[in-house]
Amino acid sequence: MRSHWRSALTIVVGVVFVWPLWMDLVIALGKKGDAYQLPPPWLPGWHTSSFLKVLLHTHWLNYVANSVLITGATILLVLLTSILSGYALSQMRFRGREGIFLVTIAVMMLPQQALIIPQFVLMKDLHLLNTFTGLILPFAASSSGVFLFRQAFLQLPDAYRDVARLEGASLGQYLRRVAVPLAKPAMVVTILLTFISSWNMFQWPLIMADTRRVQPIELALSHYMQQFQSSWRELTSATVLALLPVVIVFAFTQRHIVKAVIGGDRGIVE
Amino acid sequence: MTLVRGDVAPATDVTTPDPGRAPGSHRSRPGFGRFAGYLLVMPALGILTLFFYVPAAFLFVMSFYHWNLFGGSAFAGLANFDVLFHQPLYFKSLLETAYFVGVMVPVDALMGLALAMLLREGFRRSRAGGLGRALVFLPHVTPVVATSVIWAWVFNPRYGLANYLLHLVGAPQPGWLDSATWALPSVMIYSIWHSVGYYAVFFLAGLAMVPDTVVEAARVDGASSWQTFRRVVAPLLSPTTFMVLILGTVNSMQTFSQVYTLTGGPHGGAGGPAFSTSTDALLIYNTAFIYQHLSLAAAMSLVLFVILITITAIQKRLSRRWVFYGGTER
Repeated sequence: MRSHWRSALTIVVGVVFVWPLWMDLVIALGKKGDAYQLPPPWLPGWHTSSFLKVLLHTHWLNYVANSVLITGATILLVLLTSILSGYALSQMRFRGREGIFLVTIAVMMLPQQALIIPQFVLMKDLHLLNTFTGLILPFAASSSGVFLFRQAFLQLPDAYRDVARLEGASLGQYLRRVAVPLAKPAMVVTILLTFISSWNMFQWPLIMADTRRVQPIELALSHYMQQFQSSWRELTSATVLALLPVVIVFAFTQRHIVKAVIGGDRGIVE
Repeated sequence: MTLVRGDVAPATDVTTPDPGRAPGSHRSRPGFGRFAGYLLVMPALGILTLFFYVPAAFLFVMSFYHWNLFGGSAFAGLANFDVLFHQPLYFKSLLETAYFVGVMVPVDALMGLALAMLLREGFRRSRAGGLGRALVFLPHVTPVVATSVIWAWVFNPRYGLANYLLHLVGAPQPGWLDSATWALPSVMIYSIWHSVGYYAVFFLAGLAMVPDTVVEAARVDGASSWQTFRRVVAPLLSPTTFMVLILGTVNSMQTFSQVYTLTGGPHGGAGGPAFSTSTDALLIYNTAFIYQHLSLAAAMSLVLFVILITITAIQKRLSRRWVFYGGTER
């Protein structure tokens, strides 16, 4: 009995938390003027006109494409740099290895807000403002990615490496065929963490990119919101484009995501 | 309650590698030479150094210069800090940041704990807990601007959901984002929605480490549920609480995106009506990119940098005194 009440309360609380996201969909797919009605409608009307307008007749798809490009490239590069560094820091012997590991990890403790001004000057001096490179390269390496792959590679039995060596496999072959496939959990977590932070990135492009050519959707939404706040249907339809990939990925991988986000940040503090 | 100590498993430490294994002993492979290790760590280390450590070092330099983006920068000594500490707006922003952090940290921690305790029971006995955890956590991974849009609608004074609900119960209806008094609390409400599930999951992990036997033993000894919580669960939870307080402080002191989005544009310029939401992070942005004074913004960033590093250091020191790490002194 008591556990039923608890379950019911849990569901109610859960519903309260996703309510704003639901209302976003209701307004995006509602009738004209639904956003101004009191009480507001609780179910979407499936009026797709403003959604189609956003999809077909405006620049929104361009911004979505930019976000996809930035996120995809960042994920690939983070995987590459994390695998190489994680492997060297766990399986190879060289002077200063522990020091390099600490320096790599300690980046997580730097307060990001305090760095944005000198980062802007640096990006300007490197001529990276308003370029895709400027939105991707600074995030192409990740402390938590290196950390996760190092942890995963530490679990590899030495025997695998010895066999690979006897067979005459190169380091690249050993990584590709043996080490990386066995580090799949680290790979999944790294991909998910990078996807979320990269897709949701806002302040960096706000400062580093002011041309439409390279802007991701979050930045475009912010500009649009400040100029045309009253066209709620079009605005919420555009936010659905930004939200949908995250919500879909979360729906299928929430167990991994929750663990990844918490595990990564717990590592920083301890 | 003395039975608690001693027989409790120490909190698992996710950061420590398996101690039984010596670090690998891979010698260089053909074609890579003696420097293979350095070569492999270079891409990650190089990127992190160039884009994070170099700016961090550069921040110290910039703060003591009159920095000009187009050349002709001159050493300024403490002039930037002198200007900064005579700015009433700067002190106002520090107060607003303190207000924001002072509300966010305890509310996130208490609500996070309450949610975790609710979810834990369901989590064990039915699928509701797992679903509930997912739904409560979901806001944390949503993009801030996209979800700020819908919250701006919720907070609209004329047709928003917030005032409609207040109207139903007959409560006074504030102007939310349009009001100098309520703009920052509106941002707090959004921020709690966005972050509390994150802290709840920390507490869920912490509660999972409290052994059932200990709680049962307390009950058998006749402890009330409050006594059990206060004397048994809370001490065992203190490492988690400590971590939530550190992360909460560090995160909320640096809040930028939702402040910028919710209180920008039609809401009286980024920073809210009458600068009521000009928190530190926002004032740094405005000083650099709206008022075009990079050196002053750098000086403010340096102050923020020092404050955040100091808070972390103090909390680390304090934690040794009052955090209970499951029997072993650390």
